[in-house]
Parts: sequence; structure tokens; C-alpha cells
Amino acid sequence: MTSTTSRNAPVAAASGTRPARAGQSRRTRHRGRALGTALLFLTPLLLIYAVYYLYAFGFLAATSTTRTTLSFSEATDVGWENFHLVLTDAVFIRSVANNLLFAAVSIAVALTLGFFLAVVLASGVRLRRFFYAVFLLPSLIPLSLFATVFGRMLETRDGAVNATLRTVGLGALSQDWLGESGPAYAALFVLLVYLVGLPIMYYTSDLSTANTAVLESALLDGANTGQMYRLILFPLLRNTHKTVILSVLLGSFRAFDMVFFSTKGDPGGRTGITGTYVYNAMLGEGRVGYASAAAVVVLVIALAVSAIHLVIQRKGQ
Amino acid sequence: MHSSRLLRVLATTVTAVVTLGGLAACGDSGGVGGDKNADQATVTDGQPVTLKYWTWFPPEVTLRDTIAAFERDHPAIKIDLRIFEAADYQKQLPLALNGGEELDVVGVQVSAMTNSIREQVRPVSEWESNLPAGWRDKLAAGPVRQTEKVAKDGKLYSIPMGSLGSAVMLYNASMLSELGIAVPKSADELAAAAAKVRAAKPDVTPMVFSGEPYWQEEMLFTIAGQSNPTLSDDVFAGRKPWNSPEMVAALGQYKSLFDKGIVGTDVLSLKGNRPAELFTGGKAAFYVDGSWQSSMLSQASRTASKIELTDVGAAAFPVVVAGGKPAARSYAEGGLAIPKKSKHVTQAATFVEYMTMGKGVDTWGKDLVLVPTAKSYSADSSVLASQAARDGYAAITTLINSAGSARDSNQGFLNQVEGNAILDVLRGQSTPQAAADKLQSEWTSGRYTAK
Repeated sequence: MTSTTSRNAPVAAASGTRPARAGQSRRTRHRGRALGTALLFLTPLLLIYAVYYLYAFGFLAATSTTRTTLSFSEATDVGWENFHLVLTDAVFIRSVANNLLFAAVSIAVALTLGFFLAVVLASGVRLRRFFYAVFLLPSLIPLSLFATVFGRMLETRDGAVNATLRTVGLGALSQDWLGESGPAYAALFVLLVYLVGLPIMYYTSDLSTANTAVLESALLDGANTGQMYRLILFPLLRNTHKTVILSVLLGSFRAFDMVFFSTKGDPGGRTGITGTYVYNAMLGEGRVGYASAAAVVVLVIALAVSAIHLVIQRKGQ
Repeated sequence: MHSSRLLRVLATTVTAVVTLGGLAACGDSGGVGGDKNADQATVTDGQPVTLKYWTWFPPEVTLRDTIAAFERDHPAIKIDLRIFEAADYQKQLPLALNGGEELDVVGVQVSAMTNSIREQVRPVSEWESNLPAGWRDKLAAGPVRQTEKVAKDGKLYSIPMGSLGSAVMLYNASMLSELGIAVPKSADELAAAAAKVRAAKPDVTPMVFSGEPYWQEEMLFTIAGQSNPTLSDDVFAGRKPWNSPEMVAALGQYKSLFDKGIVGTDVLSLKGNRPAELFTGGKAAFYVDGSWQSSMLSQASRTASKIELTDVGAAAFPVVVAGGKPAARSYAEGGLAIPKKSKHVTQAATFVEYMTMGKGVDTWGKDLVLVPTAKSYSADSSVLASQAARDGYAAITTLINSAGSARDSNQGFLNQVEGNAILDVLRGQSTPQAAADKLQSEWTSGRYTAK
């Protein structure tokens, strides 16, 4: 039996490998075709990425070690001096801190208010579509326009915010919104709250695919509304939280228009962020290298923040 | 098979696009990589040509009128005009010239742009043979000298259309007349006028100006110039430090306007064109800005801009310290240059001549935005209809012609440090001495390339 088996084994093995190899070959061909199709669709995007991002990154890096004007013709190599000057500038350090602060506020708003509103709207309240439109509108219209109007509302004497407070008898609460750090930060936080529409959209789309059996079970087990939110729904949308956190975090590094068109960094540049810093750094003669160094540092910080987030996310999984 | 065919089509298309792009880059369009010598390509005089003209100034309506008149006088030359917003233009023109854009005439912000574009434009000495003999005598010497001096190599690269000065004070002449207020000449008179306005018209802000960082330098050096006319020049040239006693005193003098209640810190929340909106809407009695707002003196200009103010006057900013004299910083502006890539140098020079010393000055000069460099120009009495307007224009012209310091700035330093430090003093968040020390420390930090 043993000898027959061993004698027949190669035959069996040989006859068994033929269809396996054929299948493998088919799979390889199929994979090759799929890869080709994928490449076909990816190529235009990769080309655009290469031209607009990789080239730009390379250009910034090369310029960051020079002192040059916009003509780029009289560039002087200054080594790491621009980086040293950027990293020792208190205004730059404050800009980075503001970026992180605004990101933290945005994340807090998204994970609390955004989550709560998404669940409430998904539960089928009346005028649901109207409320979706109300919350999404600030995220859909250009932020520069929105921030400009908001900035005008903050004017001390004729601004809508103080005028409204005076009209309803709360004149004592009216502020020099752009003249004091506290009110200026508060004003920007309010602006961040208005941008809660996007997290609501993320949560809404994932809520529609949530397993309702879990909710029904919780209801049958006697969970109250608070417990449903805290113990069932919030953990259920764990992956959405991660998407929201990353998008809001990285979005805060591109919040140039929000600050530039509302407080313009007031008072005294204290609410400025890295975007406004780089913009101002570009002004003036021979400052292109310095601005490039600032942009490179911001890029490295943004990449580091993303990397930290990814590591934490993987550990969580 | 299907996908490989698609890949072949894609590869062919990409190759074709790259090849065509390469051929275009090697062509004689004058773009980067092109090797055609523009100097040798100048079209003979008389042949019909279209000049590509980029600028940010003067306003489009005025430019179109001036260009239409030029084209009537010179049927063989057409102007292809492109207008930009001022701040964008500072970046777009150097990039475009450096990228090989073929332009024939470009407007140059003399102080801010000369050095960033001088390598891409021809020195005036290269094309002055196309200008009338003795052309310099037709122009005021001061602005031409400033335009020459601002270039690092001391060469003249553009011919300035005129000069600007700041800060100057516009006022609602009808409102002052109604309230029986004389045009204030000192800070005390201004304080009295402000009190009168507040009492009679509680919804009117007595005085408005921009609360943006950049404007604070204009205010500071205007007030400083009243008792120390060359302080701005001295500080920017490094002859005096930012924390010199004169600078500390100037910061205190500017702050005194707020301490005396002439201006409230609420004014500092006004950004963009809000101060102008308040003034033109009759919600402010005095408006401090640059001489480029002089067009408000003209009734025709006010009507065209739908400004309903009946009468507007202008004056020097009231003297803050006893014994001081009215002052403003001024600078040549609206330089016209001919890029190296231009193939129509003769025609371009004809256009520059028309705009800076020819008949064109009478057309754009009516806007009153610049005080023209051309000596031949005098403001049309039909433009300045009221006595307040005539006195105002005369006051502005005198201020510009007798200015002690050049209206010069280090833009990076101004927007990142200087403006905010001054605002901190005005809001009482910093003392003049502390702000001055901070300014000096940052000025010497190496972050802001000295000019």
C-alpha cells in the first residue's frame, strides 16, 4: 500500500499540478490585466500628482536653502540658515501651536456635536433635509466668502454680532472681537463650529450602513437614549471617527482662508496660523527662500502628524 | 487584449503630447528654452502691431479711455491690455517675465517691484533714443531720481507716471460746513472737531482709517515726519535704530490720538475697504488714507462711482506735536518699462512717452489718483469743482512735492512684525519702548532682508 502510494504519488502529484498551474497562470493573467486597467486609470492622476506635488515639493526644498527673489535669478546659497531662522521665530512657533489648537477644537466639535447631530438627523426628525442643508451649507460655499462676511460681522462698532447683542439687551457682552486675544480665538472657534457639516456627512453615510440589529438588541435589553449614544452608536462608528479625525486634522493645515479673511491674524498676529505665516513670509524682497523653508517645515509637521495618527490607528486595530 | 490595446492608445497619446510639447518649447515663441533674439526682432516703425500691456494701475475705465485716445492718434498700434489686482501683480509679473511671457509694456510698482523685475526689462538708456530729445526736462526730477535710486544697480528701468503720498486726510466738506467745523490743523483742533461730530451725529464715526497692519506704518511715519521729516529714511537705511528715542516718541504720539479720544480702538477693527465705505456712505467725517484716494475730490468721479457725498475736501494730517509741520511720505509710482522679450520696442516707447509725458497724461490725470510726473500737467478746473476740492488737491500736491521721506517699506517686516507691534501699542497691549525694542530686535534678526 505504501509502495503503491509512493509509486503513484508522483503521477498523482503530476496530474494534480497540471490544473493547479493552469489555474495559477489564469490568475496571473487576470491579475496582470487588472493591474494594466488599474494603471490605465491611475496614470493621469499619478502624472498630475508628479507635476503638481512632487515637482512642487522638490522645488520648495531646493529653494529653501537660498536667498532669492521671485525672479529666481540671483539666488544665494545660505545653507540651513532659513530653517534656523524659521524655527527660532516666536511667530512661527505660535502659528504651529494655533494650527494644532484649531485642529483640536475642530476634532472635539466633530466628535461631539457632529456625531450627535448626525445621529439625530438620521433618526428621522421632521424637516431633516432642511437641517442637512443648513448644516452642510457653510461647508459647501467658498470658505473665503464665508469668512469675509464673518470678519465683517465682528467689527466693533457696526458689526452684526455686537449690534445683535445690543439689540437684545446684552450690550455688556459686546466685545472688541479682533482687539483682544480671548474674543478673537472665541470667534474663530465659532467659525470652526459652523464647519461641522462635513463630519455630519461622514457620520450620516456610515450610519446608513450600520447594523440595525445591534440597535434593536440594545433597545430590547432596555438601553436608554444616552446609553444608546455612548455605548452602542459611538463605538459602532469607530472607523468613521478615525476618518473624521484625520480629515479635520489635515484640513486645519489648510485653513488659510478661514483665518486670513476673518481675523487676519488679529490681534497683533496672535491668531495667525502656518498658512498666513507663509503667505506673509512671501511678501517683501528676497524672501522666497525663507518662505519656502517655512513651507517645508509645515509640510514635515503635517506629515509627522499624519504618521503619528496612522501608527496610533494601526495599534488600535 | 482589450486592455493592452487601450494601453497602446494611451502610450501613443502620451508620446504625441510630449513630442508636441517639446516641439512647442523649442519653437520661437520666446518662451523658456526658445533661442530667438528679441533684440533683433523689433518690428519696423509703421507696421501694424499689437502691444501686450500688463499693469495694475490706473483704474480700468481710465486706462481704456486713455488707450482709445492713443489708438486714435496711432492707428498702427493696438494695445492688448490686461489688468491685475495690485497685490497679485507683485507676484504675477516677475513670474510671468521670468517664465518667458512676451510682453511689450509693463506697469511697475516702483518701490515694491523694480528689483524683482529689473533683470527682465530693458534699462531706459537702451530705448531712450525713441523718446523726444531732452525728455528728462519734461518730467519732475524727484520721481525719476527715486526710480533710478531704488534699483540695486542705480539704473533707470521704468519711467514713473506720477507720485503717491500718504497719509492724507479727506473730509466730508458738506458735513463740516453743516456743523460749523473748520478743517483741523492740529491734534487739539481735531479732538474738538471729533467731539462736535459725536455730539451732533452719534451714528457717525469722527475719523476712520484702516486697522490693517500695513497701514499703521503710514500713520506712524506721517506723524513722526511732522517733527522729524527724515526719520523713516533714516530707520530704513539703518542710520537710526527702531528703538531710537525718536521712534519711541513717534509711537507715543500716534497712541496719543487714541488717548485723547480722537479715535477709538473700534476703528482698528475696520479692514479692507470698510473705512472708505463708511466715509463715502456719510458715516465718517474724516478719512485718512493715501493720495490715491484723491479721485474722491472730483464730482465726476464720485458720480461715476455712485458716491453720494456732495462735497469732499482734503488736507494734510493734523499736526500732533506742537511746533511740527504737516508731512507725508511720497514715492514715484506707476513706472512703465519695456521687457527684454518685447519685439516692438519702438512702438512700446511711443506708448510709454504718450502715457508719461504726452497727451495721455491729461486723460488719466483727471482721475487724480497720481500726481503726474509730467511738468506740463495741471489739474482741470472742471474736475475740481469746489473750493474744498481745489484746496485739497493743492495741499496734496504740496505735501508730495515737499515730502521729507520716501514712502518705502520692507513688506515682509511690515506685515509680520512692524504693523502688529504698532497695533499692540495703540491697543495698550504694549508700551512704546517695548514695541520699539521688539522692532529693533526683529529688524536685526536676519529674517528680513535689508533693502
